[in-house]
Amino acid sequence: MIEGVWLWLAFVLMSMTTVGTRGSFILLGEKGRLPPVLQRALRYAPAAALSALVVPDLLLDGNEVSLLNPKLAAGLVVIGVAWRWRNPWLPFIAGMAVLLAMRKGLGW
Amino acid sequence: MESAFRRGAREGLRDFLPLSVGLVPWGIVTGIAMRSIGLTELESLGMNLLVYAGTAQLGTLPLIAAGAPLWLIMLTALALNLRFVIFSASIAPMFAGRSLSERLASSYLLVDGVYAICADKALKSDDVPWRWGYFIAPSIFNWMMWQLFVAFGVFGADFVPRDWSLEFMVTIALMVMVLPMLRTRPMLVAALAGGLGAVLLRGLPLRLGVVAGIVVGIGAGFIAERWQQRGRAA
Repeated sequence: MIEGVWLWLAFVLMSMTTVGTRGSFILLGEKGRLPPVLQRALRYAPAAALSALVVPDLLLDGNEVSLLNPKLAAGLVVIGVAWRWRNPWLPFIAGMAVLLAMRKGLGW
Repeated sequence: MESAFRRGAREGLRDFLPLSVGLVPWGIVTGIAMRSIGLTELESLGMNLLVYAGTAQLGTLPLIAAGAPLWLIMLTALALNLRFVIFSASIAPMFAGRSLSERLASSYLLVDGVYAICADKALKSDDVPWRWGYFIAPSIFNWMMWQLFVAFGVFGADFVPRDWSLEFMVTIALMVMVLPMLRTRPMLVAALAGGLGAVLLRGLPLRLGVVAGIVVGIGAGFIAERWQQRGRAA
């Protein structure tokens, strides 16, 4: 866990990425243009980044790949629910319900 | 008579309202998630004010909890914010004639939903005060709603029992964000490669596996797009 001054420094650095990315071309004015190749490649950054954060949490138990774990089961339910219904609350309710049922109910 | 700026503000808010419904669960979950990794109320609200980017906030929480180096946290936040470079490039013409301080404020405030309505309508408009109202009113509205609902989550987190594995809400939130992006095959390839890459490369030092996975994912998506186009051309 990062704490104290270092934590606040992390927030400031992250805040620079927020204003830096959002402001990049707004602040440059009409002077700047993003090369089309880069623009197309960058479209994949958010999906790749989100997935790079999610998949290890779902597949790893400790540091080992495990296909039978409560988080993966809950994750698959989340995918199904989010795909089928557009309700913004449902994936959270269903996912947490499955995880808690397996951890507490089945003692996994 | 109503000024062009006020008319723009009213129309912007009206178009943005349906998109802002998601802010409620979203803000609450983000608030709870920040507390669930052990941030204090003050730290959570501070992060929310400074960073003001839900995806980057949620995405870096696991790294903050694990004590990852600051540059890695910044790099991950940057990757999660990179889409804004594209938004910024496409929306920049709207800000012709605006002062530097207005541009700075807009840079902090620009979010996905407001970009979406502006790209749809305001970019084509030559009415300078109208389009400024159309951008800035929903932007400020979004900022206030976000701060409010995150605060609900931050102070409400104490009422949820500790052993409920609430940190899994972060993962669910990230999944809910990525799923709608996967409508095209190259996007799906980028996500799969990014996710599996991060798993396979988890042994890299300094938790670099995540960043390496992101790079692999971007490359795979780009290559898949090339192949798809070549297939169509042939």
